[in-house]
Amino acid sequence: MYRRKLAVTAALVTTTALLLTGCGRSDGPATGDAAAGPKAGDGKASGTVVMWAQGASGEALPELVKGFEKENPDVKVQVTGIPWSSAHQKYQSAIAAGTVPDVAQMGTTYMADFADAFENPAEDIKTDGIFEAARNAAVVGGRAAGVPWYVDTRVIFYRTDLAAQAGITQAPKTWADFTALARAYQEQAGAEWGVRLPTGGTDSFQAFLPFAWSSGAELMNKDQTEWTLDTPEMVSALTEYQKVFTDKVANPNASTEAGAAESNFVSGNTPMLIGPPQEIGLLNKAGGEGFDAKYAVARIPEVKSSTSFAGGSSVVVFKKAKNPEAARLLVKWLTEKSTQTEFYKLTGNLPAVEDAWNDASLTADTKLSVFRDQLGDAKSPPTNTAWVQVSAGADTVFERVVKGAMTPAEAAKELQSQAAGIGIGK
Amino acid sequence: MSAPTLSPVSAGVGHRARSSRIARAVVYTVLVIAVLITLLPFVWMLLGSFKDQGEILRDPRGWLPQNPTLDNYARWFTDLNIGHFFLNSVVVAIFTVLGNIIFCSMVGYALAKMNFTGKKTLLALVLVTLMVPHVVTFVPLFVLVSNLGMSNSYYALILPFLTAPIGVFLMRQFIGEIPDSLIEAARIDGASEARIFLRIILPLLGPPLATLGILTFLSSWNNFLWPLVAAQTEDRYTLPVALALYSQGENATDYGLLLAGSVLVIAPIVLFFIFLQRFFLQSVASVGIK
Repeated sequence: MYRRKLAVTAALVTTTALLLTGCGRSDGPATGDAAAGPKAGDGKASGTVVMWAQGASGEALPELVKGFEKENPDVKVQVTGIPWSSAHQKYQSAIAAGTVPDVAQMGTTYMADFADAFENPAEDIKTDGIFEAARNAAVVGGRAAGVPWYVDTRVIFYRTDLAAQAGITQAPKTWADFTALARAYQEQAGAEWGVRLPTGGTDSFQAFLPFAWSSGAELMNKDQTEWTLDTPEMVSALTEYQKVFTDKVANPNASTEAGAAESNFVSGNTPMLIGPPQEIGLLNKAGGEGFDAKYAVARIPEVKSSTSFAGGSSVVVFKKAKNPEAARLLVKWLTEKSTQTEFYKLTGNLPAVEDAWNDASLTADTKLSVFRDQLGDAKSPPTNTAWVQVSAGADTVFERVVKGAMTPAEAAKELQSQAAGIGIGK
Repeated sequence: MSAPTLSPVSAGVGHRARSSRIARAVVYTVLVIAVLITLLPFVWMLLGSFKDQGEILRDPRGWLPQNPTLDNYARWFTDLNIGHFFLNSVVVAIFTVLGNIIFCSMVGYALAKMNFTGKKTLLALVLVTLMVPHVVTFVPLFVLVSNLGMSNSYYALILPFLTAPIGVFLMRQFIGEIPDSLIEAARIDGASEARIFLRIILPLLGPPLATLGILTFLSSWNNFLWPLVAAQTEDRYTLPVALALYSQGENATDYGLLLAGSVLVIAPIVLFFIFLQRFFLQSVASVGIK
């Protein structure tokens, strides 16, 4: 009996101990200091540098960093690929437990959440040659928390063969051109819908932002201290957008299933869409050989400006990096012009460094030159921790506008009151 | 009227036979439709795994591959080295299943048949952990595991799942049904506690252990987030993590690769289930009798 009692007590003590250690919080990431960054070093780093990267970048990195290892024979780069779908949770857990890598790829919307865990970029990394929108996306709370690595923006994809059939040979420039082309597709080229536009669901409001920005709307005031979602410009953008759906030019119930956009574009059912650079590859695959010549890309239609969405990723060095010298050196190398071009060739990710676009592999592509042009006028969403929440709430409001269940004025008011309720985070 | 008439009795029997035949036909039709609906996505997945990305994007609702290709499978087996991830998944699943079978039945036995102070508290604790959502304990658990220096080891992938509260509860309920007299008789014959557990109790637990084994295997095999977070290098990733890593890009998904990968992830589960089906059905049946 005594032995049994002892065993039970031991079991209880162990369980309690395990529970308690689980609840404890070890020292978290220190709060950000605004001091200038350290130096990337004089190229004498050694040891292993661990880098985490998502998706295609993670797949291409082992090949890419061979160049870095050649230049720095004492450094070995160990790359771990992270699936995009759950990268946020991975970084969150790693930061909480202190098991962070030395360097990581950070999506623009992650920057605000984790910025406290990143050190300032090394002083000698030049960022003045990087697209302004990308640079801004890496600034959190007034300090740069990472160095832009690649960029991403949205442009119009439209079928040139069907446009010619409808008598239009010019790329759409203004909002009027854009809607006229969409109507022409429907009336003269046999298209069921003139254009495919986001109708609701995750990140749909974010996909609408180019139209809002181009109409002169801003998400926040200049100091980034207040949301400014209920403005005449926002109402006007929502009104024009809603009109495309009420006029039956775009399908308010367009299927969002895998491949729907591409199959409709290729079949001519919906010959115009707004897409990221990766859409080129998807459309070429869906359309088969020769399809590349049947469509073109154009900048976001101009209202007051032609401003698009700037996404992409930065590279960051963690404050808790085990090999910070090599990490800084790697970041510096990744943002060099030649590396950027090489990275584009391996992944198709667009260089953040403007000069890298002068390489023949990029200048030869007429579609890419439109992306480059568009990147000159692109904005990124605010880098505060509240944005993800504000954006998620806005998706629902946005969907009601598209479906005609809410007037643009009501929607703007609702967007503003929701956002004001959430605040600006930090 | 020369037509033969049926006696009331035989008419009744014929009517009953006919209506039961109709009822059976209706039931079978409904069942066949239900089976088809359940199977269709799997058939689409299997057929899609032989298509290239272009074909899936061009005609997402199509069924038969126009230009069947094995490229998706070839990529998994050559470039992406699926064998390694498969092995990781198998190692993790086997140890997790064994751990659950051993520890859940031991704890279940203690909670069902032994008397000790704190027994009720311990049972309450098991039930409470059953009620705490997984997301709440996720990050603390990872902090704990990495503070113990175990992140990026097989230990990290296996240890936290060696017992599950649901398994303990399941075992306790089953063992509670075993008559005390069996245990008392063994005790009178001088059997030790370990011997009673191993020789008397365990052999009676076949069906519930099979259930526990299958449930544990499934959750271990499909577990995604934990292995992703716990593994620090790709060579520790399990199948679901590798599947997400290689087939989903930032703005584009490689559907052919994803579908072929899904077939490869699901196939072992189907084989496993076919192998253990007898036990599984038996245990479900005995749950019903209870």
